[in-house]
Amino acid sequence: MSSLKEKLNNGSFVLTGEIGPPKGTDIEKHLEKAELIKDKVVAVNVTDLQSAILRAGSLATCHLLQQRGIEPVYQLTCRDRNRLALQSDLLSAWILGIKNVLCLTGDHTSLGDHPEAKPVFDFDSVHLLKASSILNSGKDLTGHDLDGSPNFFQGAVVSPGADPIEPQIIKMKKKVAAGAKFFQTQAVFDVEQFGEFVNKVNGLQVPIIAGIVILKSAGMASYMNEKVAGINVPDGLIKEMKNTEKSDIKKKAVEIAARLTRQVKPFCQGVHLMTLGWEELIPDIIEQAEIS
Amino acid sequence: MHATIQKEMDVILTYLQPDEKIYVVGCGNCAEKCKSGGPEETEEMAQRLEKKGVNVIGYSSTPSGVGLCSLPMCRKMMIEENLDENNAADSFLVLACGQGIHTVIDATDGGEVHPGCDTIFGGETEQPGIVKEYCSLCGECVTAYTAGLCPMTLCSKMLLNGPCGGAKDGKCEVDKEKDCGWHLIYVRLKDAGKLHLLEAYYDPKNFAKWSRPRSLVVKGTEATFKSLAGEHTVSRED
Repeated sequence: MSSLKEKLNNGSFVLTGEIGPPKGTDIEKHLEKAELIKDKVVAVNVTDLQSAILRAGSLATCHLLQQRGIEPVYQLTCRDRNRLALQSDLLSAWILGIKNVLCLTGDHTSLGDHPEAKPVFDFDSVHLLKASSILNSGKDLTGHDLDGSPNFFQGAVVSPGADPIEPQIIKMKKKVAAGAKFFQTQAVFDVEQFGEFVNKVNGLQVPIIAGIVILKSAGMASYMNEKVAGINVPDGLIKEMKNTEKSDIKKKAVEIAARLTRQVKPFCQGVHLMTLGWEELIPDIIEQAEIS
Repeated sequence: MHATIQKEMDVILTYLQPDEKIYVVGCGNCAEKCKSGGPEETEEMAQRLEKKGVNVIGYSSTPSGVGLCSLPMCRKMMIEENLDENNAADSFLVLACGQGIHTVIDATDGGEVHPGCDTIFGGETEQPGIVKEYCSLCGECVTAYTAGLCPMTLCSKMLLNGPCGGAKDGKCEVDKEKDCGWHLIYVRLKDAGKLHLLEAYYDPKNFAKWSRPRSLVVKGTEATFKSLAGEHTVSRED
């Protein structure tokens, strides 16, 4: 059984981490990042060609985590696979012992390093969740029996900072109806806005794991505000980063991530820490956030 | 209409052999509206090619308002009106969409053709000279649920169940100048008091209806659309 599912079901506040596979074949250092946080988080997400940039695959990386006793969350996007490949990869994942899948639309190919690639999007994320639910029931999407079936704990994403929020919430409801058992959110910096969002979706009764992205610099914060949908880093946080000496920046990054974690905790069932290569800071974040 | 844009002269010249006898063919409908191959641009292309030393033995376009993609009209122009020149031609440079190119092959019983244009999309002429794409010719219109706006065209990811998380200020993640298709659909549905349509689940697209090539046969009051999804016949009689 998925430990992530077990913990969410028994009401524990969960912590998850994230790694991205290498651009190339040197995977060891990426796995070492996951090893660093192995005992601190319940599961580690593996991104699927994040930002549409070619990398090694999420599935193989999840398998390697699994072999090291680290529970993976297999991120799967609709960008690069049609419905045959999506279902096949889900079956393959289950065969490899992967229990958690996060179903995403995926960033558009034009944003990545192969902008001339054909964007697939045969499915949207709601279709993918539904397909996963159908596979769980022992059938494929066209109703054929499976010879052995998975039992995924499947999650989805939502962007609490989207403006307007209403279509996001409508889609979130559709994801729940399609079988989403938990949600991970876009990075939260505006806690008040996050709280308002949670109040609007409380009735869905689905665990929400808040996304916390580590702030590495004021420039990064401004960049995200300008470029990344659904991210609103308040001016106060940007100022805090600006006023921090370079030598203290990691300390400040930990302090902010820990503070955000503490602040969002009353509203959600867990925190997904996206530390962007600074995984070694996760133990300090957890300690300062006073989460055991 | 089928929007087309002329290929650059340097590119067109790479298709032609020295001393090849070229006949330039244009279209008086869509290509005229796009100024890529109407009667005027066809004559102009013949002159431009001659200046580049190409052996142009003639040119013609279907009349204004008449599409080259009608085989009977194309045949009339190629065979009845310009037979000698067409017989003398080694090949035809077609200033029209891909349908027009194939119509010329049919009208000339397998003649050699060169594309003079790129066919870029099917579009709405918002005003003369401005054409925008609102339909992807997918074979199964879903706009009854999306306030008349096609998500297969207006959403970069062709999503059917609402927006992704990539839109910012109503603009798409692929281009901040481009409206998010689902934002437009949401606003129109909300204004019409029909947000319940956004709440419904829509199945994945049947891409077999978007297989190519497809055909349409109309007989009397019946029309039959054939694709890899099979034959679909609709009668206008209730």
